[in-house]
Amino acid sequence: MTDTVLVVGAGPTGLSAAAGVASIGKKVILVEKEAVLGGAPIISGYAKLVPSGEWAKDAIGRMVKRVEDNPNITIHKSTRVTKVEGESGNFTVTLSNGQTAQVGSIILGTGFTHFDSINKPEWGFGTYEDVLTTTQMEQMVSAGKIACPSNGRVPERVAILLCVGSRDRQIGREWCSKICCTVSTNLAMEIKELSPTTEVFIYYMDIRTFGLYEDKFYWKSQEEFKTKFVKARIAEVTKSADGRLLVKGEDTLVKRPIVIPMDIVVHAVGMDPNEENPDIAKVFGIGLEKHGFIDRGEQYTSTFSSTRRGIYVGGSALGPEDIDTSISHGLAMAMRAVGEMNALVQKAA
Amino acid sequence: MAIHEKTLIDPDRLITSDSLVVDGVDVSGHWNTMILPRTLRDYDDGFESHLKQYSGAENVHRCWQCGSCTNSCTMYAQNTDFNPRYWIYLARLGLTEEILKDKEIIWQCVSCNKCTNICPKDVRPEGVMKALAHWIEAEGHGAKSNSTVFDEEFARQCLVRGRIEDSEVMSNFYKLSQQNIKEMALHGWLGIFVARMNKWNELRHGHVFRFLARTPIMHSLHMGWSMVFKPKTKSWGRTGEVLSQYIKEQKELAHG
Repeated sequence: MTDTVLVVGAGPTGLSAAAGVASIGKKVILVEKEAVLGGAPIISGYAKLVPSGEWAKDAIGRMVKRVEDNPNITIHKSTRVTKVEGESGNFTVTLSNGQTAQVGSIILGTGFTHFDSINKPEWGFGTYEDVLTTTQMEQMVSAGKIACPSNGRVPERVAILLCVGSRDRQIGREWCSKICCTVSTNLAMEIKELSPTTEVFIYYMDIRTFGLYEDKFYWKSQEEFKTKFVKARIAEVTKSADGRLLVKGEDTLVKRPIVIPMDIVVHAVGMDPNEENPDIAKVFGIGLEKHGFIDRGEQYTSTFSSTRRGIYVGGSALGPEDIDTSISHGLAMAMRAVGEMNALVQKAA
Repeated sequence: MAIHEKTLIDPDRLITSDSLVVDGVDVSGHWNTMILPRTLRDYDDGFESHLKQYSGAENVHRCWQCGSCTNSCTMYAQNTDFNPRYWIYLARLGLTEEILKDKEIIWQCVSCNKCTNICPKDVRPEGVMKALAHWIEAEGHGAKSNSTVFDEEFARQCLVRGRIEDSEVMSNFYKLSQQNIKEMALHGWLGIFVARMNKWNELRHGHVFRFLARTPIMHSLHMGWSMVFKPKTKSWGRTGEVLSQYIKEQKELAHG
């Protein structure tokens, strides 16, 4: 019987799970498909995280270092799992680097994929240089200067469009991506901080800054940073003769069509299921739920189980999730994975 | 009849000409009614902070459009066009043209403050209504009401002479508010008023003293004298100048 746990994915979920498993004396094999650890916050270059306000590279950097410094954790970068055989307590996994390993439990922190704004061509991404995604805007904030990519001018106005790739039956995204409202209000404050002359408008259907994010982000961005919230789902982004962008839509509170000039338009992109989920499901022998995220097993007594015994799944692999919650999922899965191995050891004895 | 449901279109967006030629085609007659687009094309980004200079609007930026103010509003119950939530939204975005469409009703707020009590974000909508009404008046967006015209003439005389002359207040008021005295005397209420003061009947029946006692002869003479010589209140001096300066300062203090 092995005392090793396989953790797949080195984002917030996987890093937390790996550290958790190692902290209770078991061994971890951590497999990450990218060449760097840290997951989306590092790879996509997030700026300040919600809700801590810490820079992603600092906060997630600490998680990475904790895992790298732990002798009980073996890390495989630029590596995928290609084959999983056996059953709970006694899996044999094959990695893309040719190695095989015996593991007792498997934890999946395989995460999500950012929605690709190209799939909403009417909102101008890929057509106009000054239409960006939240991740690109976060990179601009990290770089410390707010300017229009087209010609470097300081924007008079920035529009953030919510629900890009979320809550949209047209493109088969019927879910709320949960954290974009909070991220967008946070981004609005960061923009204003760096560029006080810029007016930020958030175009929304609803504002879903859940829990304590309500006043810390939504109210704060409105009351202290004067972000303006406009209730309109934008129909189209075009360009005017003077080179500015035009957002077209219906202001549902004024009940009138609007065509408003903007300098930068930001898509608050949603969270898609990891684009590799069909392959992941095949390799690990697990099911996907109807949206394409990884399906859960019984949750009340077998928390964070997938549809296959001994394989646990958490974080944004299950559905849109925020970083803090993903970290908790990781720790909870460590508990589940080690608990299951202990139970099997006791049963065998 | 090109447009069947004109009632559905704002009257100020319907353009009709007696004769019209478009691209060389004569479209006079039924076919020359044009509708201006109803698209909103820009915001006035500075308006929200401008309005905040008027007392009462300090918290307008806090509004998240829940509609509690409108729901609780005394005036909304009377007239559903009286919608504080809507005006606050327009004010935040600086859609001033839309606000001014309602300039004839915004001042009707009765300051019951039910909105202030119910507002979950402490916007103080009653204050915003007051600020909007003051903005409309102070920046000349609304025609002055007759009562304002009267007040101004009344105050002007007070400041100049420390007193008013009834006849001068009235005649200037009618002139400034473009009311035709001659017309009112011949066909309006002024004629009826004067006719009712007519005491010729007393004289016809030989009651000379009763006639003299009931006809305001001395008062009319006094008014005439005052209109010509315009007396000031005793030792008025520079009081008017000082008061005018004070009023000016107070206004600047309130509105920046």
